[in-house]
Amino acid sequence: MIQIENVTFTYNNSEEKGNLKNINLSINQGEVVLLCGESGCGKTTLTRLINGLIPWYYEGELTGSVKVADKEIREQPLHTLSQQIGSVFQNPRSQFFNVDTTSEIAFSCENQGLPETEIQRRIRQTVSLFHIGNLMDRNIFHLSGGEKQKIACASVSAGEPEIYVLDEPSSNLDVTAIDDLRDIISCWKAAGKTVIVAEHRLYYLMELADRIIHMRHGEICHEWTSEAFLKMSQAEVEKFGLRPASLKQICGIHRFGAHSSGSYKVRHLAFAYKGEKQSLNIPNLSLPHSAAAAVIGKNGAGKSTLLRCLCGLEKKCSGEVETDNKTYPLRKWAKKCYLVMQDVNHQLFTESVLDEVVLGTDSTDMEKAENILNQLDLLPFKERHPMSLSGGQKQRVAIAGAIFSGKDILLFDEPTSGLDFRHMEQVAGLMQQLKRQGKTLLIVTHDPEFILKTCDNIIHIDNGSLTEQYSLDRAGIAKLLDFFELR
Amino acid sequence: MSVGLISGSENTAHFTLDPRTKLALVATVCTIMISGRVGGIMTVIHPILALVPFVLLLFSRRVKAAVCYMIAYAAAYSMISFVMPATSGIISILIGATAGIIYRMMPSLITGYFVVNTTKVSEFNAAMEHMHVSTKITIPMSVMFRFFPTIKEESSAIKDAMHMRGISSLRNPMEMLEYRLVPLLMSVVKIGEELSISALTRGLSGDIKRTNICKIGFHFPDLVCFLLCIVCWICFVLHMGGIV
Repeated sequence: MIQIENVTFTYNNSEEKGNLKNINLSINQGEVVLLCGESGCGKTTLTRLINGLIPWYYEGELTGSVKVADKEIREQPLHTLSQQIGSVFQNPRSQFFNVDTTSEIAFSCENQGLPETEIQRRIRQTVSLFHIGNLMDRNIFHLSGGEKQKIACASVSAGEPEIYVLDEPSSNLDVTAIDDLRDIISCWKAAGKTVIVAEHRLYYLMELADRIIHMRHGEICHEWTSEAFLKMSQAEVEKFGLRPASLKQICGIHRFGAHSSGSYKVRHLAFAYKGEKQSLNIPNLSLPHSAAAAVIGKNGAGKSTLLRCLCGLEKKCSGEVETDNKTYPLRKWAKKCYLVMQDVNHQLFTESVLDEVVLGTDSTDMEKAENILNQLDLLPFKERHPMSLSGGQKQRVAIAGAIFSGKDILLFDEPTSGLDFRHMEQVAGLMQQLKRQGKTLLIVTHDPEFILKTCDNIIHIDNGSLTEQYSLDRAGIAKLLDFFELR
Repeated sequence: MSVGLISGSENTAHFTLDPRTKLALVATVCTIMISGRVGGIMTVIHPILALVPFVLLLFSRRVKAAVCYMIAYAAAYSMISFVMPATSGIISILIGATAGIIYRMMPSLITGYFVVNTTKVSEFNAAMEHMHVSTKITIPMSVMFRFFPTIKEESSAIKDAMHMRGISSLRNPMEMLEYRLVPLLMSVVKIGEELSISALTRGLSGDIKRTNICKIGFHFPDLVCFLLCIVCWICFVLHMGGIV
């Protein structure tokens, strides 16, 4: 179905990572192939070769041949290719052209110029296949990330291509949404379609993948069947810089933290969004000093709302906080909190990394700022424009700003979404470092591996109220794995 | 249920107008209300046109918006008719200016609000196609509509981030503007690029004739609206010629 022979590709823009060297790959009809490897290893570039974005969108020097169904990719325009090859991308927010879901699912069919009755039939068929009847005729801006990604898959699927190419589709999804994604891919597999997925998270594809291809520095260096891959130990998988193949492997990685003295006791937390009766109601919550707590729960359970309330972004939230036998109103306590948001691009404002760190504080203690940058391996970049850094570096700049602000409680919204193993390790190390400095951390995350590596406490939220709070001892780990349905 | 072009609020009403009718209404209300001709038949036409957005909002079950609009309009109208003649000098000018702006502009603005709130992007595309407007114009326009809610979302995230960093909007307005706009532009450009990639891989191109599954067409309410528009235009032209 797909034949890639002796392909070498270099992006014209030299800063772009992921150039390819001497790729030979052949994929048969009906296969599910998983591409893995560290960020910048070229797996995304390989997907772009297959869906025709190289050479039709990204320019560069391409040698060798890429054939789909025995036809050379570079000899067919993108709109012809799109009838055979469907693509789903990482960011659910930027993949829809229409504002309402039904038109969006019709989009690729409309572009093919299919007759109206046929389009209606395909919409009905896709809706029943993906069980998304409840999402029809909705405003896409009001959907959750997982629902948006489902619509993106449905829109591609309605075009009935033979090949599906997915580039890190699970990056912004929670556990339930990843399950749904797995179901969608298995529908495609059952229909005999060819599926190519580039991913960091491997576990959800293990039952489906026929082959797992590991890339490094733009080359294919290993290939396994999923049985062979599952036989490897956690240490071997980590040596390849990969996320675990099965989440059972991660149980052993928890590092038990030191017991802390005292805690912040948050009481009577209540908040309602406009038009809702009650969005958050937590009578009692305890955050131990110098420890990390993970906030878990389903999409829309109120995890982000909790963070926003604690750091004072939702001004109408009421509550109080007791610490060291003193009680503060929530609004006053919120001044000690600092929220590092999920999308770092929203929180970098100045023209140099150093300016960025000291921004918004009256202090101009440059030595202290440079010290913090040094701890985060950012000192060599202090004169660089923050927007010119890589994603992980940007995130560290944002964290440097948080540390310099001198606030005691740091809140993180999804700090590891879309990160590969090495970068996730790096963020986990950073969190340990922050704890040692006496910061109290509260982390919203969908990443069980990351939780086991960094957190001491679990706060489980459901429907705007606290289901349970437990510490991560042996029994706690069992509960956590139950939540992620890993046992 | 339908979803609007810009604010995208979900609307449960069964009352729909063809996008072309809506455009005709906007054109009529805007031209005649803002042109500023007074006296004669216009004393009748103005209130009728001012009622148009009220009726449209009511039919699409935006009762609150309709009532608010009516109150604002009635207030402006009574200011001009009753309060202004009783005052003089600078106060009279001030009242005249503010009330005048509301009196003249509000109906057009609210009709525009109604249109962008109740028209789907694909309905808009279909209407444009029926009017033989080239896809080279309609595709960029529909992307533009798609971007208004995105800008709103991104902008509010940036506002929160600024709040977190302790940058208030009072200290240095120029700098604040920069802090607001630079990250906004960066992320909107990125989203735009990802959006075009996604659209291209789903076969959007100018070469093939697209189908559109959106059903648009004229029904009884459209007829009423068009008749109203025609009557208003006739009166307007006659009034310009000094006949009525």
